[in-house]
Amino acid sequence: MKLSPRLLPLLIAGALSGTAQADDASMFSLSGFATLGLVKTDNDNAHYVIAGQARGATKDASGEVDSKLGVQLGAKFNPMFSATLQLLSKQNGDGNFTPGIEWAFVKAQFMPSLAARVGRMGAPFFAVSDFRDVGFANTTLRPPQDVYGQVAVSHFDGADLTWQSGTSLGALTAQLFAGKSSDTFDRTDLDLKKLLGFNATLEMDNGLSLRIGHVVGKLTVKSASLNGLVTTLRTTPFASVGDQLDPNDRKASFSGLGLTWDQGDWVLNTEYTQRRTNTYVPDTDGWYVTAGRRFGSWTPYATVSQVRTVASNVNNTIQPLTAGLTQLKAVVDGTVASQHLAQKTLAVGARWDFARNFALKAQLERMRLNGDGNFAQIRPGFTNSTVNVLSVSVDTVF
Amino acid sequence: MNFKKLIFVLALFAGGAAQAQVAVIVNPKSAAAAMTAEQVASIFLGKTATLPSGATAVAVDQSESAAIRDQFYTKVTGKQAAQVKAAWSRLVFSGKGTPPKELASSTEVKKFVAGNPDAIGYIEKSAVDGSVKAVLTVD
Repeated sequence: MKLSPRLLPLLIAGALSGTAQADDASMFSLSGFATLGLVKTDNDNAHYVIAGQARGATKDASGEVDSKLGVQLGAKFNPMFSATLQLLSKQNGDGNFTPGIEWAFVKAQFMPSLAARVGRMGAPFFAVSDFRDVGFANTTLRPPQDVYGQVAVSHFDGADLTWQSGTSLGALTAQLFAGKSSDTFDRTDLDLKKLLGFNATLEMDNGLSLRIGHVVGKLTVKSASLNGLVTTLRTTPFASVGDQLDPNDRKASFSGLGLTWDQGDWVLNTEYTQRRTNTYVPDTDGWYVTAGRRFGSWTPYATVSQVRTVASNVNNTIQPLTAGLTQLKAVVDGTVASQHLAQKTLAVGARWDFARNFALKAQLERMRLNGDGNFAQIRPGFTNSTVNVLSVSVDTVF
Repeated sequence: MNFKKLIFVLALFAGGAAQAQVAVIVNPKSAAAAMTAEQVASIFLGKTATLPSGATAVAVDQSESAAIRDQFYTKVTGKQAAQVKAAWSRLVFSGKGTPPKELASSTEVKKFVAGNPDAIGYIEKSAVDGSVKAVLTVD
């Protein structure tokens, strides 16, 4: 919302520059996507969520994990300037479905190979970042959460530059972007500032496509309790522990490699990703492999995925010299443990394109957790569980 | 499903009529003399926006209910309707492109291509005449 006042003049300028063509009703295009999904697990001790959501599924089925509605308005003012606005309603980090401005950008296509965008746009952290919410565009029921759960931010405010070129190997697309983002993760606000990244995709003629991406930024987690803990620690001889936990303006990076092969009846997707931070959010590595085969309108598939913590980034050197320090040491241990992210998932499912523009999907997952994984509302006894998750969804585009 | 099967069986009996050859057409002024199925597929699947000449392609599609549309995508791109739809939704909902404009009939496609130097479309081969140029024909 903060974006609107600055974006509005751009939109108006773009609209005015296009008045010559404005009498053509086809200047505007309206499209949308929706998913109606139900999820159920076999465990009542925590909620299965898409990372960042405040609540989700237990043994009681939930329609709030995957269900969403997106509406996109496109406007082409002239051959060079266009604008896109996307509103998206899905369960957010505050636990409601208040529609948010997912995208609002103006695009200038300087020449067929070079384009720039300014405004709010999809943050290309992953191979399917831009359309991760468009169920119809994806084979699986939802992107593998072991990998996609590492970064909950889906868009950023800033600018990008995209260059496309035909090479002897195939179509190369390279993107540079810069900006900032904020989001709410399970009722906690976070900021990513000074984002700077690149993203390159090579689409070969034989159906193979490769992707590499890297982004750096400054992460701030607006947690009063954590900031309180840091302040307290800095009054002790163990201030360095507080420095390591400090969640303000700390360097963070995310890197990913991806490979997609979609040829004939087979589809294969795989990504390998690394999250790195200089605060209490742990360094993690995540990967997945999805393989599917089309049998007419049916596409059964299987995914194996894993995320593991490679460094907690906090070395709890507090000596329990006093009762107060003993308590502080335990609080630090608890904080670090709550952030530990390690889970393995095996998912099998099928997509059925039962009507034009409609797909029905079912997916069964078996998740083995080390710690609490990507779950919310954890109750005692949940840690290190194995959870079975059943999901069904209907996706459409219009 | 049964209805579709019935159509299919009828189509088999009708013989050649349903298996019309598909011709990919461009404006007669276009520099392109012939195009490969890969080049045509790239444009209609949104992988490239340019014609071999370097000009920005203005692609036009047939309506979703037209039999020739399924034939075109199956034979030229090797993809089924649902795959094509999914591919375009990836582009539309990443703000990278909009699908080709749909026209109601082969007559309209031919008229559009004849009147636009950068246009590319497809019609039954039997409908090709001097107002357009066929750059690819598939059985």
